[in-house]
Amino acid sequence: MSWIREGELNLLEKISANILMSGPMPKHVAFIMDGNRRFARKKKLERHDGHMQGFNKLAETLRWCKHLNIPEVTVYAFSIENFKRSKEEVDGLLDLARQKFERLLEEQENLEKHGVCIRVLGDLNMLPLDLQQVIAKAVVMTKNHNKCFLNVCFAYTSRYEITNAVREMAWGVEQGLIKASDVSEALLSECLYSNNSPNPDLLIRTSGEVRLSDFLLWQTSHSCLVFQSVLWPEYSFWNLCEAIVQYQLNHKSIQKARELHREEQALQQLEADCACIAEHLQHQGNGKPADAQRRQEALQHYTVTREERVQDFLQALKHKRDTFFTNLCSETVLT
Amino acid sequence: MALLYGLIWRLLLALVRIKRATVSWLRVRLRTWKGRFWQRTMAALLLPVPVSEFKQKKAGADQSSDGDRDGKGAGSRRSRWLSDGISLEKLPVHIGLVVAEEELSYTDIANMVVWCMAVGVSYVSVYDHHGIFQKNNSWLQEEIVRQQHNLLGGDDSTFNMELLKNGTDKPQHFVVSCRPVVKVLSPEDGKHSIVQAARKLCHSVEKKEWSSKDISVSMLDVLLRESKNIPDPELVVKFGPVNSTLGFLPWHIRLTEFVSLPSHKNVSYEDLFGSLQRYSACHQRLGQ
Repeated sequence: MSWIREGELNLLEKISANILMSGPMPKHVAFIMDGNRRFARKKKLERHDGHMQGFNKLAETLRWCKHLNIPEVTVYAFSIENFKRSKEEVDGLLDLARQKFERLLEEQENLEKHGVCIRVLGDLNMLPLDLQQVIAKAVVMTKNHNKCFLNVCFAYTSRYEITNAVREMAWGVEQGLIKASDVSEALLSECLYSNNSPNPDLLIRTSGEVRLSDFLLWQTSHSCLVFQSVLWPEYSFWNLCEAIVQYQLNHKSIQKARELHREEQALQQLEADCACIAEHLQHQGNGKPADAQRRQEALQHYTVTREERVQDFLQALKHKRDTFFTNLCSETVLT
Repeated sequence: MALLYGLIWRLLLALVRIKRATVSWLRVRLRTWKGRFWQRTMAALLLPVPVSEFKQKKAGADQSSDGDRDGKGAGSRRSRWLSDGISLEKLPVHIGLVVAEEELSYTDIANMVVWCMAVGVSYVSVYDHHGIFQKNNSWLQEEIVRQQHNLLGGDDSTFNMELLKNGTDKPQHFVVSCRPVVKVLSPEDGKHSIVQAARKLCHSVEKKEWSSKDISVSMLDVLLRESKNIPDPELVVKFGPVNSTLGFLPWHIRLTEFVSLPSHKNVSYEDLFGSLQRYSACHQRLGQ
């Protein structure tokens, strides 16, 4: 089955889509596609077929999102915790992924036509090398597309992602690119795997579970969370509409909370800068308090240099990550 | 055409809002009807004890009754709550109360804190995304003590609690041996504390105490736990119409179950216990 489904919505769906789209629409939706195995059990299918149906539903959901003008989708495909499952099932899931990413490579033209950019979030090093290479190829091939974005979380947990971001910042400190005092909420966000995406507006979890299971904990702190009881392979266009209505009902209050959070974040940054300046001036002036004007100038100067430092570091980080992917691709050429 | 769609959309949203309001109104209504029904049945059966218990329960919600001071009703209530807690298959160790509403009611929050502890929950954290509870921490404390007296009677030796504000402050007031802990949290305790932990780690890398490769999930977890000194919440009860965590402890809610209630105002013990029952019924596979 292909990743990209052609086909229009039927008349009723189209009308409903138009009605929904006259309200505020989420720009980025995240899915926890839960319930494939329960679906298989219910229908007396093999587990593997349950996962297969789950993938088909993803392709269909992407089509709905396209029609609903939702440009970005993030899905939880494989958690680091999933490695704990039976070897048979893990191998089955990795095989399915291998097959699907290979299929993706064959669909280059179609992806280009729709401008689909695929990103994979997670620690690829945990995967078998051949799978890493296929994934890297798909990512590199689509990286310049900019109409729709699909982020696949693979070998991912949110705590791991946050820890990895801290590790990257520590790397920056080791390299002398940034100082430890430059660490801030904004910088940490930039070091996450998801640094290229805005935070999701809406997170949907199917199958009636009401927890996040270590998925996008940082990014969804001001997102609308919708828990639906339907199993993922049975997910329908109308379930998606229901979730969007939920988002629209929450839209104003969440927007307000986000604004509040942004203000607080700016304040914290300012405080951190002031603390650095105070220390610096005290050092310089041998303990004498500096006058207000000098402090103001020093603060401005400090902020500018800090931002430059951070930008340089982020450039270096981006370069490091890009090289990782291109190296993986060129390795395949060699073998 | 676009105008028409816009109109229908507005209508649709209004309908959903009306439906939601009706449901939550009915919820409250049904509860009082049910209460009255039972009260009448009990009265008809001429059983003085349960009837008086009912009066006290209602009075407890209104917090203005003389009958409430009598230790007998409070005692039986306490043992009922305790046995409720024991009857559940599993009970959360830490429960988070997240208020996503503009108006805050200290009394209702205090009631819930007391109920949670009476049922046997060891840690309760209270959160609102404006940080108002944290700012008015002492007010909330007083209210909790008052409700503790009202609901559990004068003898509070079994339910002393340690109220902490932010991990950094010293425990305030009456810290007596006993276990239940109330934490008042604000957005500062969320992402901000992760950033602080990250900064700390980077400082030690700067001083060459650690290498960046040494940093692991468990290391960060230990650092974040140190500053909070509480286990991860297993259950979050969220109040209000907004379906979002609004910045509540992002690191700690990895496996937290979310239960949503329409409002924390006039919330009843049954509402809270219902959430606990839902938690007790769920089964976590932990990735397997």
